[in-house]
Amino acid sequence: MIYLFFILTAVFSILTYSIRRRSVSHILVFLYVILMIGLGINLWPQAGLQLNEYFFSDRLGLIFYFILILVSLFSAIHYVKFVEDRNVKITDVALHNAGTIFFTGAMVGVLFTSHFGVLWAFMEATTLGASILIYHDRNQDALEATWKYLYVCSIGIAIAFAGVLFLGFAAQQVGHVDFTFSAIKREANQLNTVWLKACFLLVVTGFSVKMGLVPLFNVDIDAKDASPSQVGASLSSVLMNSGFIAIYRFYEAFSGTSLLPWMNKLLMIVGLLSLFFAAVYILRVKNVKRMFAYSSMEHASLVMIAFSCGGLGYFAAILHLVMHSLVKSSLFFQVSQMHRIFDSKLDEKIGSYLRVNPLGGLVMLLGFLSIIAMPPSGMLISELYMFQALVAKNYWWIALIVLLLVLIIIYGLAIKMLGIIFLKKSTASINMHGASPYESIMQLVLIVIVFYIGLFRPPFIVDTILLAIKTLPS
Amino acid sequence: MINFLIVLFIISLIYLAKVEMVKSYFTLLALQGILLFGLAYFELKEIDLIHLIFILLETLVFKAIFVPLFLQRITKNRNHRHHNGPMKGYYSVFITALIVIGCFMISYAIHDELTIDADHQVKYFTAAISSILVGLFIAINNRDLVTHLISYLVIENGIFLLSLALGAEMPMFVNSAILLDIFTSVLIMGIFFNKMKDYFQNADTGQLSQLKD
Repeated sequence: MIYLFFILTAVFSILTYSIRRRSVSHILVFLYVILMIGLGINLWPQAGLQLNEYFFSDRLGLIFYFILILVSLFSAIHYVKFVEDRNVKITDVALHNAGTIFFTGAMVGVLFTSHFGVLWAFMEATTLGASILIYHDRNQDALEATWKYLYVCSIGIAIAFAGVLFLGFAAQQVGHVDFTFSAIKREANQLNTVWLKACFLLVVTGFSVKMGLVPLFNVDIDAKDASPSQVGASLSSVLMNSGFIAIYRFYEAFSGTSLLPWMNKLLMIVGLLSLFFAAVYILRVKNVKRMFAYSSMEHASLVMIAFSCGGLGYFAAILHLVMHSLVKSSLFFQVSQMHRIFDSKLDEKIGSYLRVNPLGGLVMLLGFLSIIAMPPSGMLISELYMFQALVAKNYWWIALIVLLLVLIIIYGLAIKMLGIIFLKKSTASINMHGASPYESIMQLVLIVIVFYIGLFRPPFIVDTILLAIKTLPS
Repeated sequence: MINFLIVLFIISLIYLAKVEMVKSYFTLLALQGILLFGLAYFELKEIDLIHLIFILLETLVFKAIFVPLFLQRITKNRNHRHHNGPMKGYYSVFITALIVIGCFMISYAIHDELTIDADHQVKYFTAAISSILVGLFIAINNRDLVTHLISYLVIENGIFLLSLALGAEMPMFVNSAILLDIFTSVLIMGIFFNKMKDYFQNADTGQLSQLKD
């Protein structure tokens, strides 16, 4: 089934690019989402099982896969309105939709592969897909962002590949090179730790560009800024999840070895540095999209910090990623509407958004409360779990530093977001044709899901996450 | 013979740091492709014929001929004959030499970790890590977009050398991956490079500063 899915991904991508009619192009994307739902229904009963030599129906992959379906569906719907409003040329629509299908298919590969080499190849493919999407607007900003993204990602992916080769050196010394996760995990204790350390370090460095973490985060911020908002939503949510799962696979495979404390330290350092940079940049940023991009960086770093604590931290990290994906996509979708109304993405030109567009303003307000983890946002729960995990490990100083940096970020976000939502400072001309209540309602649905998770912690979600992380050391 | 080719490869890295004409970069890239072809042949001649032919085609046809010609073609009408890095001439050579010496020392430091034919692998390690670091140095030291493409290819050559150190263990996977990487990245970067001429006067990365906080 999964091979058929990839063949159909290629067919859909080619068809979408070849058929130069907007309506058909959009319909093909929706059909692809239905195909994804079909794959999900097929994979769910096989959760935890190996499908074939290179793929498995991993529970963590399934969690992120259902988010991918949701975000892809909403992106497709938002893109229809985007094309109508901007009267985008059919050639650009065809390329964008074909790129979307290719990009999504590559992420499905990342989520379900059980082989390190194939994982790397799919990550490479996400770079190409993302480049097509970032270049959508065909202007100087888009070109600059695409060039930087492509160049830095290619170097990042090459560095990650060197990491995979180091794993090969380690495996060679015990007699054979089998790159499946299960084989590496089984024999990890016999592998030379120097090579494993080098491998993990290079993989974290290389894939940091996908998660938007130190050291290669800059191009990710530019890409989210210069691309259409629905692309920014995908980069901030589902691509970040893919980057996380790529690092997670290596972590899980090596977690049964003496390397575990060292890996945790490395992830903690990456998380803290990323949080620091997010706090510094968010204070000076003037552009709403860049502000949300730095906010994504903040949440990616919190995920890393939580994950590096182990135990409850694993659960907190996954839960946080799930909820962040939903909230951040809805905020990016709303930015698209705000941009249509004010024809600007600079915070100094936008104001009184709640009065100008009440439903859109409500999305912004609730989304803002969610990303700063205010009750009843579910992100409060995952952040509390994260601090609990830090304290359980006796990382008091780190907890204080994290708290301080998060407070700085909340301050930076609040002074801008409250201005945008409530204060009368709009200097831009207002075009109310850009408002779209049905889009805002969809975005509210995503935020309400996060509130629901926060308030009720549905056992179905909690149990699925716990089952997904049961292979990690307690 | 392998020693000779590795030494030549390292010399080509040092020379890469010295050249100032963009055209010379392409010649050196082609030379590196031929050297990698020789190394792949001597290192992997015991693997099965189809895999060997694939790898040799990749190095000779792709790395030594196609990529340099492609880059030459996309840059021939452009106004950037000279590179414009902050560190020129012998300063660059000095730094590159330091990188090579440093990599040599690192490779010997990890000698004990290389249990399978360690002496042999140390040579590859020195050349591979030098190539990756020199590639990064070229990228940092130059503001020219073409040179950035070259630096990426030098890094990829380093990774190819690293894969040769693995011997015949997984040549098909490694080389398919490198081929995919270079093919897609260079082609797509080449396409975007051509688009640049609609917006930018020359290929200086200093102009790529529109996006900021």
